[in-house]
Amino acid sequence: MHDPDAEDVAKAGRGDRNAAARLIGRHTPKLLTVARRMLGAQAEAEDAVQEVFLRLWTHAARWQPGKAKFETWLYRVMLNQCYDRLRRRPTAPLEAAAEVADSGPPPHAGLDEGVLGQEIARALDALPERQKAAILLCHFQDCGNIEAAEILGISVEALESLLARGRRSLKTRLAHWKGLAGDGR
Amino acid sequence: MTDDFSDQGFADRAVKRLPLVPPSPGFEAALLAAYDAWNAERRNGSWAAAWKMGLRRFSETIWPGAPIWAPASALAVALLVGAGIGAAWPAMTSAEPVPGFSLERTTSFSLLSPDMPQEDL
Repeated sequence: MHDPDAEDVAKAGRGDRNAAARLIGRHTPKLLTVARRMLGAQAEAEDAVQEVFLRLWTHAARWQPGKAKFETWLYRVMLNQCYDRLRRRPTAPLEAAAEVADSGPPPHAGLDEGVLGQEIARALDALPERQKAAILLCHFQDCGNIEAAEILGISVEALESLLARGRRSLKTRLAHWKGLAGDGR
Repeated sequence: MTDDFSDQGFADRAVKRLPLVPPSPGFEAALLAAYDAWNAERRNGSWAAAWKMGLRRFSETIWPGAPIWAPASALAVALLVGAGIGAAWPAMTSAEPVPGFSLERTTSFSLLSPDMPQEDL
């Protein structure tokens, strides 16, 4: 199993600044997007990503290539960060959550990429955190089911169940976007 | 099954259109600065830094991704439970003298034979 990051992780652990910069450049955009979708707030997402990289540096010197894929470890740490932060938040009563007004744009038949992106983000934000994490790992980060299950620390069957429910909710929430339905559907 | 495939394709098309979240200006530079700080600390290698790093690594090994207090408090609880059990059930070795090995009897022992003249000592 070739891990494209393994060499840079080892180098960064030995103090190679360029290797660290490459890792930051390669992983920050997607890590930040996942953190932002999980946590909702940009500042908190950036704090979480910063904490993930600090953990990476302290861990890098001991990184053993071949034992686990680097990205699997990275996203596991990232999601644990998100869960910790979500757990520390005060919880709002469920009744209040149900009354939140939908501030999104009215349904469209056409595809305005900017508005569509926002609406997809809003639909994802409405999913329960485990479903959201499963959807992001499998459809945004392109992880296979086995890898995503490993990151989430659950069985593949449990992951598939989360995915099925998450996909169905997404489809229901975004059904009015005809362009997403695919060819012939 | 067809519905599952249809949902999967729909989710794939939707999430692929999710825009990347742009970082705040200077965020990547801040990440690199944090790396530089870590690297400087590592090179200086003060005892405190090494201890802190060791603790962080240890915590990372036993509980990846958790804040450092989580494994520390788990170990502290284990220590308290151990100490509690130790206090409730004192050591198996009794304070009473072991029969057949009392101080009185050991004084009658001598490294040398009692018949040996004392001046030879």
